[in-house]
Amino acid sequence: MNILRQFRLELARLLQNRLTWLAILLTALAPIAGLTVYRPLYHDNATMQGMYLANPALAGGVLGAVLFAILTVWSMDRLRRDGMETLTHAAVSPMTAALTRLGALLCVSILAQAVATLIWLPYTIFKLGTIFDLESYVLIHLIFMYGAIPLAILFASAAYQITRRGDLSLALFAVFAALSLTVWKQQWQFSWLAPCVFGISDDFSNYRILRSVAYVRLTWLMALAGVWVVSYLCVRRYGKGLIGSLLCNIRRAYRPLLAVILLLSGNLLYVHQPFVDHSAAEFDFAYLFPSEYLETVTCSSRYADVCPDPKTGRVSGRAVFQLQNISGTEQTVQFFIDPGYQILSVQADGVDVPFSVDGYQAMHEKRFDVTIPAGPEMELTIDYGGFPQEWNAVATTQGSLEISDVYMQLENDVLSPSPHNVWYQGDSLPAVMELTLPGHMKPILFGAGSTELLRENGNGTKTWRMTDDGYHMIVYVGDYILEEIPVESAGITVNFYYSRKHQPIMEAINATESIRQTIEYCTEHIGPLSFYGDGTFNLIESRISGGGYAGDGASLANEGDFTIQNLSDGAKGGSSAQVTIHELVHQWWGLGNMFEPAYTESVWSAEGLTCYTTYRIVKELYGEEAAQAAYIDRWQEEVDNYYKDFYVRHPEYLSALPVKYQAGISNSLWEIRKYSEMPLKILKAEKLVGGEDAMDEILKSLFNRELNPEYPYLTYQEFLDACHLSEEDLNLE
Amino acid sequence: MNVEICNLSLTYPSGKTALREINLSMGSPNLIGLLGPNGAGKSTLMKLLVAGLLPTEGKISVDGKPLIQQERLLKARLGYLPQSFGLFDELTVWQFLDYMAALKGIAGSKEAIAAAIQRTHLEEKQKAKIRTLSGGQRQRVGIAQAILGNPHFLIFDEPTVGLDPEERISFRNLFSQMAQDRLVLLSTHIIEDVQSVCNQLVVIHQGCIRFVGTPAGLIAGAVGHVGVFREKDQRQEAGLHITSRVNTTCGIACRAVAEELPDFVEQVEPTLEDAYLYLISREAIR
Repeated sequence: MNILRQFRLELARLLQNRLTWLAILLTALAPIAGLTVYRPLYHDNATMQGMYLANPALAGGVLGAVLFAILTVWSMDRLRRDGMETLTHAAVSPMTAALTRLGALLCVSILAQAVATLIWLPYTIFKLGTIFDLESYVLIHLIFMYGAIPLAILFASAAYQITRRGDLSLALFAVFAALSLTVWKQQWQFSWLAPCVFGISDDFSNYRILRSVAYVRLTWLMALAGVWVVSYLCVRRYGKGLIGSLLCNIRRAYRPLLAVILLLSGNLLYVHQPFVDHSAAEFDFAYLFPSEYLETVTCSSRYADVCPDPKTGRVSGRAVFQLQNISGTEQTVQFFIDPGYQILSVQADGVDVPFSVDGYQAMHEKRFDVTIPAGPEMELTIDYGGFPQEWNAVATTQGSLEISDVYMQLENDVLSPSPHNVWYQGDSLPAVMELTLPGHMKPILFGAGSTELLRENGNGTKTWRMTDDGYHMIVYVGDYILEEIPVESAGITVNFYYSRKHQPIMEAINATESIRQTIEYCTEHIGPLSFYGDGTFNLIESRISGGGYAGDGASLANEGDFTIQNLSDGAKGGSSAQVTIHELVHQWWGLGNMFEPAYTESVWSAEGLTCYTTYRIVKELYGEEAAQAAYIDRWQEEVDNYYKDFYVRHPEYLSALPVKYQAGISNSLWEIRKYSEMPLKILKAEKLVGGEDAMDEILKSLFNRELNPEYPYLTYQEFLDACHLSEEDLNLE
Repeated sequence: MNVEICNLSLTYPSGKTALREINLSMGSPNLIGLLGPNGAGKSTLMKLLVAGLLPTEGKISVDGKPLIQQERLLKARLGYLPQSFGLFDELTVWQFLDYMAALKGIAGSKEAIAAAIQRTHLEEKQKAKIRTLSGGQRQRVGIAQAILGNPHFLIFDEPTVGLDPEERISFRNLFSQMAQDRLVLLSTHIIEDVQSVCNQLVVIHQGCIRFVGTPAGLIAGAVGHVGVFREKDQRQEAGLHITSRVNTTCGIACRAVAEELPDFVEQVEPTLEDAYLYLISREAIR
């Protein structure tokens, strides 16, 4: 009880100080920086919550942490400098004093956060309007902003307890903070001060990103608490120095033991994080393709019963494959699975068969081998489950994978394992998924296929049956509105799915008209779409994840394209829907067998033609000036920077770097060439062939020729030949 | 309360010896004056007694138990006023004493604070911020925190520095009153303070105890070694330790201590100050 009384009075004493109130006030005001100078989530398609809630909270966290580190060091140094310790240490042990002081500082930081959360509430409600929800507001403030402050207090306090010097402690803190903002910025687990947050969704949930940041905070909290306990052992006593005090304080075994436990906990949390996989640093494209197929093993169908748990974010499932092994001997079949999953059991016709999981992961795939018996027909059942993971190559932009009771995005191996080195009976592997979801959720299948309600379960859940002829299956689940948009000139109907939260905005921007215009433009200038058996395709609004995606019979529209902010920014011209247009254009460029697979290192890909066509549409719909600014100027700037890049000019230095850095730089440069250099080359070709109409004719002929699935990939040379140009003609340097 | 100091030595890591083989026994009730020149080791001894330092040799026992084993218990029964200390300027006198009472774990702190304020004459300033207090008032706050909760063992290191004569007398009386039922250790440069109230004296010089006994005992040791003379020639001072020099109409009247007084020096009754200076000067000569 006495220590509680001491803590209460230490807190009261701290609150009597004007500097404490100054720190509280400045921390409460710190989110202003997130609206002005420090906006990590500020990009073309940032969401409203990203700009007006997450950015201020992140900025508040950074500045609040700095302010509280200064307050911590100042308040501790003052006791020694002004001689107060002489009195207090005669009355109470320096160890007890250190504990109560830390507790009081943490309490003051909670007060500062509470003030910040309260005073920013009306502003945030005003800016977010219908998008605002209190739970997100509190969680983002708590995790993004407050999460950094105790870490700063712990570090600053530990630094002071070890060094006993205010200037040195602040210098150490400055280095620690600077590391997080610079060197560790791209390492999501190291970013203790400003966590890696790419996007915060307005319309869907932010379950995983909040969990991920909270996890990083917890990891650092454990580690820094451990460091603090180590520094606690260094609290000076009996007039001794660092080592002498350490030897005195260490005698009580529970103290060093606690430090070790906390440090180990931090380390365990770091090593065993569940969010991101451990794929090899270099892009191992070869891993995705089997070195040889099993000529005698065929897979004729795939079925999976999948149960995502919206509360825990975990998935459990049972996949059943129809296999034929006509070799007469056992064969080892390889499967891919989400790296976060465990294989629980594998049975062939009800009998356990051996399997082994390779520890190696690459390109966001984990492989496991199953030994199947010989037999003309067998049913292979695989039970699996776990917490699905995201690819470590995009660890700093987590957010595409989401499982909550508001929204789910379940892709490919997240749904079920896929066989790797066997032949399919037909051209593709028909898949049937039975997805059990909370009763209020309805799935949308990306691409061609069908969805039907199979049954209503007694526990408030519903099971949906989804069928697809493709190798992969992607499912979106959320509170969607369906708008059917007939485009008569193209002979198709677009099923436009968007979040109910966004209904007023979609109506305000007349999104349906924009979609219709894009499809009409492409049909007229390039040619009619012919991939859709039933004459429909799905355009689905998706959670913010840094771009769109297009596939057979479907395109994604990123929610960031439809924010009020984007729509009210006249300077952007038509940019609010550009990514959507881009993804719609991919229905013309990039589906079927038109290009070599995107994961080869060729610069010639669907992206060049898609970027160019998007530019042309934006030019027609929103004017030349808007298109010039949004596309040509940006491409030129990126290409100029590309040619100036040190590693482009001196590739020998790139090859001298460690593989993981080499891969990162190479990929970044490759992206620039695909998305900026190639469209500029096509634009140059347009001028050389005689203008837009001439280029339209060339592209139309290439597109229509490629509709024949027997036709080989469309190559860069074929494009050049069609333009009657050589590679040198399109040289930009 | 009994405090035993046995063969206590303290040597700093630099090699400087601050205290050497100190042996001392203190029991309550008692008011012990600790005298010694600057750097003699008085404050160091006090820090050792409040567990602010650890001896390199020897030990301190409180009621028969090693101090280090009952540090917490000792601190709960201890009142300490260091020679130099800081106060929390942002607090009022009452808040500061409440804070210190919490650190000391004093139950019924309101009454204890009120009593300490009353004893140190801080009633009018109890709601004043410490930053507004004068040097003497701050010193009184320091004394007030030391006597909070009537501790069994009081250690004052130069407590009357900065106080006006009236306050000094008042606090001397307070120390005397408190020593009636507890142990008080008082370190001071002001011999008058010690003379008025202490019933036991400890003189430390160069890290060693040079005298332990009553003031009368210290004075008795100086009888025959203190005298006065009128200075005619500065060479007269050779071999003497001049303790005062007063300009008068008849010349300079000097008071001196020496191991052996010359003939021109007239012997007088020593004061406590003479006796202390005699002791220290004799040690210096040795």
